[in-house]
Amino acid sequence: MAEKKPIFTPVSEKEVTRAIVDSFARQFIEYVESDCLIIGGGPSGLMAGRDIASKGVKTLIVERNNYIGGGFWIGGYLMNKVTVREPGQKILEELGIPYEKAVKGLYVADGPHACSKLIAAACDAGVKFANMTIFDDVVLREGNRVCGVVVNWTPVNALPREITCVDPVALEAKFVVDSTGHDACVVRKLEERGILKTAGFGAMWVEQSEDLVVEHTGEAHPGLIVTGMAVATTYGLPRMGPTFGAMLLSGRKGAQVILQKMKKK
Amino acid sequence: MNDFIHPIPEAIDLYEEGDLNNLDIADVGEYLQEKTHIPFRIGGNVYERFSEKRIEKTSRELAGIRVRDPGKRFISGFPFQAEVDYEKRRIRDPEWKIFGILYEGVLYQRIISDLVIKKGSGLKQCILVFTNQLFGTWDEYNGRYHARVSLYGFPSLISITGLVEAPAKPKEFYVKKQMGTPAAWLKEEYQGRFLDHGDRRTTEVLKGYAMQALLFHLTGDPFCEEEDCRLFNGHWQEEVLHSQLDGRYDFCPRHDFMLNQLRGRNRSGRGAVR
Repeated sequence: MAEKKPIFTPVSEKEVTRAIVDSFARQFIEYVESDCLIIGGGPSGLMAGRDIASKGVKTLIVERNNYIGGGFWIGGYLMNKVTVREPGQKILEELGIPYEKAVKGLYVADGPHACSKLIAAACDAGVKFANMTIFDDVVLREGNRVCGVVVNWTPVNALPREITCVDPVALEAKFVVDSTGHDACVVRKLEERGILKTAGFGAMWVEQSEDLVVEHTGEAHPGLIVTGMAVATTYGLPRMGPTFGAMLLSGRKGAQVILQKMKKK
Repeated sequence: MNDFIHPIPEAIDLYEEGDLNNLDIADVGEYLQEKTHIPFRIGGNVYERFSEKRIEKTSRELAGIRVRDPGKRFISGFPFQAEVDYEKRRIRDPEWKIFGILYEGVLYQRIISDLVIKKGSGLKQCILVFTNQLFGTWDEYNGRYHARVSLYGFPSLISITGLVEAPAKPKEFYVKKQMGTPAAWLKEEYQGRFLDHGDRRTTEVLKGYAMQALLFHLTGDPFCEEEDCRLFNGHWQEEVLHSQLDGRYDFCPRHDFMLNQLRGRNRSGRGAVR
């Protein structure tokens, strides 16, 4: 009786390890210096990354969680339906995300479908990711221009200092995007250093906050672009609630600002 | 109720800021003119006559008077460039529709005053500015900012957004909203019981507020305690709608007499100045 051939090619453990380390290291070395570093892989960061990378700009998204997508997997109250107000549905169409009309001007999509499509679109455009990587500090140059970030492994952050003390590493970029949501981590770090002052977000006012977030998206400090809910925190705008149109449009506007600035340079 | 403490103005100047969502300013002016015999003038957009340099200055001023936390007293600070740019875009676009920033009302009035009050004009003009932006004033009593429909002074400001957002809606509306009922359903359920953005009743309702502004200019006292009088200072939407639309009369007998007196003193002032 003939011996049954295994389905998978035999590869030793050391080769698997070598492949992981080699591939990760090559990418990491390449992206130690990028054109654009996006901190936060939620909807606005992904959208910004997708639009920037699709123009051939070297883009890395730093995400503190293992999973990418932030709050875009679920809508309000842990229900996995996400809503967008007009004209946000045009981006859903562009990304091939199915949706249905809820009421006039409001559309609903499946969170998992919407989020996975957006992640895929960012990956297809050429965005690379450093997940399980947490933002620690900013890299500043002349005139306090933001020129990069200092990061560490997320688990390191969760351990007490007495047990482990792992120094972070720095990544450089022409532009840094703060898309860390309400936390506005990068902006807050500049505030800690007395370089700027945030206002904190106000009460929830869905109808107004979406417009205001998109309108205020842009460069908050030389080299630092703010998108998504980090915009609301930076400028003290009303909170948004479970609608995502402004996250997508804010990401797109952030990308436009960066592309324009890169063109001028 | 004061008698007229200021001279009767030569004209009532009506200015606007932003997209007023079909507010008929001329209709408001004609109403004031009919009731007082003081002619009105349409002043147009408050920003339209100014240079780029001046717009830059005004944008910076406006960006610096945002109320960041309505629960705390206003503290001035340096605005972000993005906030200044936002104000510039807003000023340059007379059809600007976006609102939602709460400005410090008294400082807002001062900035607008610098734009619309001409040197040496004194109290000859009564200036009313209708805006789609939202302003508030600090309430000592409960230690927080409150959005306002109007802020009377020189000039007087009247906000069409404030008209929707400042007077409280029916109590049950807020209870249901807190329980998660979508705003669209609530608007349907309480239709007619409060004013919404773009409400067809806005022009009619604002005629009463415009008269309050004129009365402030003349007497320093814009309000009446009679809830059927259009000078009643309604704090609830239902009070506003009652005094402006369903009251027993336009003005209570006292104020009707006062307006009669005003028409008598100002017989020569008939006819709009356009």
